[in-house]
Amino acid sequence: MSSLEIKNICKHYGAFQALHDVSLSIRKGEFVTLLGPSGSGKTTLLKILAGFEPVSSGAIMMEGRDIISLPPEKRNFGLVFQGYALFPHMSVYDNIAYPLRVRRRPKAEIDERVKALLELVQLGKYAGRKPQELSGGQQQRVALARALVFKPDLLLLDEPMSALDKKLRHDLQEELRDIHSTLGTTFINVTHDQEEAMHMSDRIAVVNLGRIEAYDTAHALYRKPKTRFVAEFVGKSNIFQGRISSEPGNACVFTSANFKMPVIDPVAAMEAGNVSLMVRPEDADIFTAPVTDGRVFLSAKVASSTYSGDRALYTLTLADGTHFIAYGNARSGVHANGADVFAGFAPENTILLG
Amino acid sequence: MSRVIYWGSVCFCTGFMILPLVLVWPLAFNTSSFLTYPMEGFTLDWFRKVLTEPTWTNALLNSTKVAIGSMIFAVLIGGLAAIGVMLTRRGTQMVLSVLFVSPIVVPTVVLGVAFAYAFGRVGIGGGYIALMLAHSILGAPLVFLSVITSLRGLDPNLDLAGASMGASRIYRFATITLPLAAPGFAAGALFAFITSFDEVVMALFLADPGSTTLPIALFAGLRDRLEPSIVVVALLLSLMSLVVLVLINRLQKRGTKTVL
Repeated sequence: MSSLEIKNICKHYGAFQALHDVSLSIRKGEFVTLLGPSGSGKTTLLKILAGFEPVSSGAIMMEGRDIISLPPEKRNFGLVFQGYALFPHMSVYDNIAYPLRVRRRPKAEIDERVKALLELVQLGKYAGRKPQELSGGQQQRVALARALVFKPDLLLLDEPMSALDKKLRHDLQEELRDIHSTLGTTFINVTHDQEEAMHMSDRIAVVNLGRIEAYDTAHALYRKPKTRFVAEFVGKSNIFQGRISSEPGNACVFTSANFKMPVIDPVAAMEAGNVSLMVRPEDADIFTAPVTDGRVFLSAKVASSTYSGDRALYTLTLADGTHFIAYGNARSGVHANGADVFAGFAPENTILLG
Repeated sequence: MSRVIYWGSVCFCTGFMILPLVLVWPLAFNTSSFLTYPMEGFTLDWFRKVLTEPTWTNALLNSTKVAIGSMIFAVLIGGLAAIGVMLTRRGTQMVLSVLFVSPIVVPTVVLGVAFAYAFGRVGIGGGYIALMLAHSILGAPLVFLSVITSLRGLDPNLDLAGASMGASRIYRFATITLPLAAPGFAAGALFAFITSFDEVVMALFLADPGSTTLPIALFAGLRDRLEPSIVVVALLLSLMSLVVLVLINRLQKRGTKTVL
């Protein structure tokens, strides 16, 4: 049962079309992230959901009711802004109480709810402070508490982590995940950070050029991307252009400028012709000499490496001058730049893209 | 080198503007009844005279009444204009802004004649109401500019945030926009007050004997009986303007702090 249904939304700004026939269905209590590069239309979609932007055509069904013509104040959606948009003339307490005062709730109930939310975001001690006296991370939590205090049907988050440093971002991602599972509210998060999307979301909608390019779990998007854009945008990848052909008396074969290999996935093999083949950097290994175990081996030179203790990420230059990235085990140090090595990967760990 | 130019120009300008005033002020404390140096002795009699003589006290009272009244009108007109203009589109905003600021560039003599004629025709004639209305036309553009500046400085997301939390437009205006733009309103109101308080040209056209304002009394004093009480009034007017300017400055500083 899906609680929010986005149906065929189109959005034009003059001659420019920002959204092309976007449809998404989001289940009640789900954590969905709209992931895309800047200018992809993800923020436009969020503004449409919030009611700040009219659509050119399409519908938004909330539990079977079309809410597209409702103004933002009638939608009962919480919203965490990119810059938090806290009211500078009100204390933390008054900021969080605002939506309840709008709803004319009794004083005792307001007090109870605000205190509960302050507890939830661990800001109990800061109720009397002004927003500008708090750190970025604390302000973000106030914004979150304010958007959740009135038990909205949906929480929209507009790049909530973009102004925070990396360490803080990590902690808050975890906290947001926890709050989501505690409250069970439907969350829709907008970000361009694929790591953030993968850490927090039940499902990710990859947005590109105003279209939903893919909509699936993080694992499915990472391991089984359907398009080259998704493969490249979600995680690191190596892409080889090539052809699929069936050789006489043999299985299907993928041929690229660098290598040939049998195709494992029979469904993808049905479609012969020009395709892309993706290898994730963790699916390839670095060898000093080729081994004969059915792996594809590519001779290469080390162009550069990034050592991170547990492993090293190598950028290799292949014979045809293209780059290939792979993680190598760095227990006995990293290979020097310019060293001759082999990159090897098993055909069953590669992914064919249409 | 740039420091030399900086201090040079600061000293020159302040000297140019303040020196004539400073030269006159000591005469308010002079025992002689002529406005001449050297001073003969120190006295506060002229202050006592100004604060007790009905000509001056009535004029002071009239000026205060007119200034407060025209301030209220100016805040209503200029404030509403600024709020309204903010709701229109960019092109319309430019045209309307120019329109609302235009009374500043019309010579006050022209406005004075126009108001005297127009008010006469509709039967308001001279007096308090005429002065308040006419002065509010001078004050309104100042309120308009002050308010629109503070409204432009507001983060538009604050209003959207209020909307997303269910607040109606009026509720948002009362709880978010107005409190945050309040320093702009207050600064504009003070500007309007002091403009009316000091205004002489339009007052000459519109004041009747019962509503003589301080600048007019000062003007008449200059013509009829040149004595230190005039300097006392001038000194008090300057001090008041100074206090108001300091207040405005503080409000604007506070405004930018809360806005950002």
